[in-house]
Amino acid sequence: MSNVIDPNALAERVKAIPGGDMLMMCYSCGTCTSKCMIQTKLESSYNPRRLIREAVFNMDDDAFSDKTTWLCTACDLCYPACPQKIHISGVINAVKALAVESGKKTPYQVARVDESTCVACGLCEKICPYEAIILVEKRVPFRGTITVASVDAGKCMACGMCTAACRSTSIRLVDDYNDAEMIDTLWSWLGTERVSS
Amino acid sequence: MVDAARQPLIEVKTFTEVEKVEGYVGNFVVTLREKAKYVRADRCNGCGACTKACPVEIPNYFEMNLAPRKAAYIPMSQAVPLIYNIDMDACIHCYKCVEACGALEAIDFSMEDKLVEQEIGAIIVATGFGHFDPSPMTEYGFGRFPNVITAMEMERLNNSAGPTHGALIRPSDGKSPKHIAIINCVGSRDKRYNTSCSNFCCMYAIKNALLIKQMHPDTEISIYYIDIRTPSKGYEEFYDRARESGIRFIQGRPSEITEDPDTHQLFISSEDITLGKVIEREYDMVMLNQAAIPQPDQNHMSSVLNVAQSPGGWFMEYHPKLRPMDSPTDGIFFAGACQGPKDIPASVAQGSAAASRASRILHSDSWQIEPTVAVVWPDRCVSAKGQACGICARACPYGAIDYTKGLAAEVITAKCHGCGACVGECPHDSITQLHFTDAQVLAQIRTLLAVEPEKKILAFRCQWCSYGGADLAGTSHFEYSANERGLRVMCSARMDADLIYEAYRLGAGAILYSGCHPQDCHYITGQIAGAKRAARLEKMFERLQMSPGRFRIEWISAAEGDKYARVINEMQASLDAIPEDVLKAEIERLKPEMAKKLTKLGDIPGVAQALVQVDFIVDEMLGKAVPV
Repeated sequence: MSNVIDPNALAERVKAIPGGDMLMMCYSCGTCTSKCMIQTKLESSYNPRRLIREAVFNMDDDAFSDKTTWLCTACDLCYPACPQKIHISGVINAVKALAVESGKKTPYQVARVDESTCVACGLCEKICPYEAIILVEKRVPFRGTITVASVDAGKCMACGMCTAACRSTSIRLVDDYNDAEMIDTLWSWLGTERVSS
Repeated sequence: MVDAARQPLIEVKTFTEVEKVEGYVGNFVVTLREKAKYVRADRCNGCGACTKACPVEIPNYFEMNLAPRKAAYIPMSQAVPLIYNIDMDACIHCYKCVEACGALEAIDFSMEDKLVEQEIGAIIVATGFGHFDPSPMTEYGFGRFPNVITAMEMERLNNSAGPTHGALIRPSDGKSPKHIAIINCVGSRDKRYNTSCSNFCCMYAIKNALLIKQMHPDTEISIYYIDIRTPSKGYEEFYDRARESGIRFIQGRPSEITEDPDTHQLFISSEDITLGKVIEREYDMVMLNQAAIPQPDQNHMSSVLNVAQSPGGWFMEYHPKLRPMDSPTDGIFFAGACQGPKDIPASVAQGSAAASRASRILHSDSWQIEPTVAVVWPDRCVSAKGQACGICARACPYGAIDYTKGLAAEVITAKCHGCGACVGECPHDSITQLHFTDAQVLAQIRTLLAVEPEKKILAFRCQWCSYGGADLAGTSHFEYSANERGLRVMCSARMDADLIYEAYRLGAGAILYSGCHPQDCHYITGQIAGAKRAARLEKMFERLQMSPGRFRIEWISAAEGDKYARVINEMQASLDAIPEDVLKAEIERLKPEMAKKLTKLGDIPGVAQALVQVDFIVDEMLGKAVPV
């Protein structure tokens, strides 16, 4: 009569991470999914309930490639709605941490540091709501070994707070919402062509 | 109700509250507060002239406040006895009712509450359940959106005797709704409000849906659910009928209801779990199937009756499987939802069971109890010497011990169930348990540890669970170490610390402290008392640097024979792991420590003689007897 639980199974690893411990309590009522703003306004394949299921059934690949893993902003709208009092964003974060640990990268863009101009003032580190930015010492071409900001791709949610805070425009989102594009959008809203200075 | 009121041996007392319950099985004295109705029962003929004359209108509680009632009223048209009542909180003292009553002179404004004492043989509690108010769940908008109603409101709207005479209308505009949603588990299965399942709401939702469908076949009804539970006979068939009739079942708990403020149309957003997609649908009216919760005054009743409450607040039964209609106090029984949410068939079954249990008491002159009751030695009780104590009274799960400072504690034998918690807890050894006296148990320990005690595993087992577990291990032929020596007491609460110390003083190799799982304890909270004591002992032995594995606490049910065998084998292994000389040295080192705690053991009545005798017998058996 053996009932051995494999500690390397995904569910067990998620449970071992603080925040992921309530995983098994989910009875799949779907309240979180219909409460979620990302699901209803942005990405219809986003589904926290399904992600919890995937974690419960040790479906590593499905869980790590699920959009839910990478898109949750931990706004915690679902947390007070959950009848089982599961901290859902905690579970999602635990899955994400494990995905990053296993070498998976977010399919979405993250903030990028321009190391040639970064002065390591630390403003971005302080403002980041996801604690994704740390200051590290590293070799930078033409600048020698200096301290610069570094973005943890597993944690960055591409909110752009760092870009707004940076005084030397050394950190930004690359693909969408870069400075030039946003200024163009603003001008177009104003109904005039941008006056080039 | 009418039949009950007509039966000469049944006295129906309405508008009466239980103030106090004293005494014990067969001999309860109950104080009742007969509240003033301001209408004399011997004169009122139920004509209703006072109601017609009364100018005051207040919300009618029975109609879920959907209709008004007068200050002179009967709670419902089928009320038994049919005697009117004047609500003094609402009355404006215009005395129009007195005029209307006329020559009958039934209305008497000078009436007062009466306190009546009655001798009662047995009590059946059938106080029912209360309804969860969904207004704290702001996501469903109850109270904000007029067309979101509760199940009880639906019940009145749907009733031909109700405020709308059975016409199903929506509150915002009086139109008949064509799209109705029913949301299940509102406030139940929800850790924020009530953790438990309310048992009957799934069937209740289906019943309401079918009822509406029968009367208004063009209505479209959806039931939102987490799980549909149809466990009893015929229930699944009923569920099938609902599907056949076109009622839509949506698996997924709605997260939010929103309203169009102009039309008061409602929009429910939920995930359809089977599709894995979020769906939003429009409805004319939404019924919230609210949780069944204990009555608002259940705590008060629990202290009046001196019966405990289970987690969640329901009255606690003697045993969840074997005695669900009995309270832990002999002579008090439960019927229906006061003991836990249940539907009509289950309530009727429990009510009939409770009635037959109660009649057993009424038809007998004497009452048999377990012979293992507790007895106090009044000359040893420190309370009699003026010290504040009362530990035994606090330890008793049944409230069977009367403690008054200055008097020796007294056991009300009819209430005692014989767990021995008081005996285990009494620090002055002033209380004992028949058939499990200290002398008897100590004599057993001596015998079991007479030969090579350092090799023995002494297992304290409780009568109901771990003893049963050991029994099962034997009958199932699970092999376990032959060095185990079992010892039975009624409950782990009886496993007095002195008994453990004495066993170690005699040189026991290892001791198992075992009993029921906490939820299975046959003595309400006995196991909890036992577990607390065991944890205390474990800590102390750790401080005394006892080798690990020599004292073990395990909760083993009567079905866990394999666990019992495994635990004993593990204990044997950990005992084997200690080198023999180390173990012997440790036992010798701890002997004086244990003896220090046992200096008063010999003073306990009967102990000294019992030990002399048992030593004599054991010596004789071992061939070491010295002729006296």
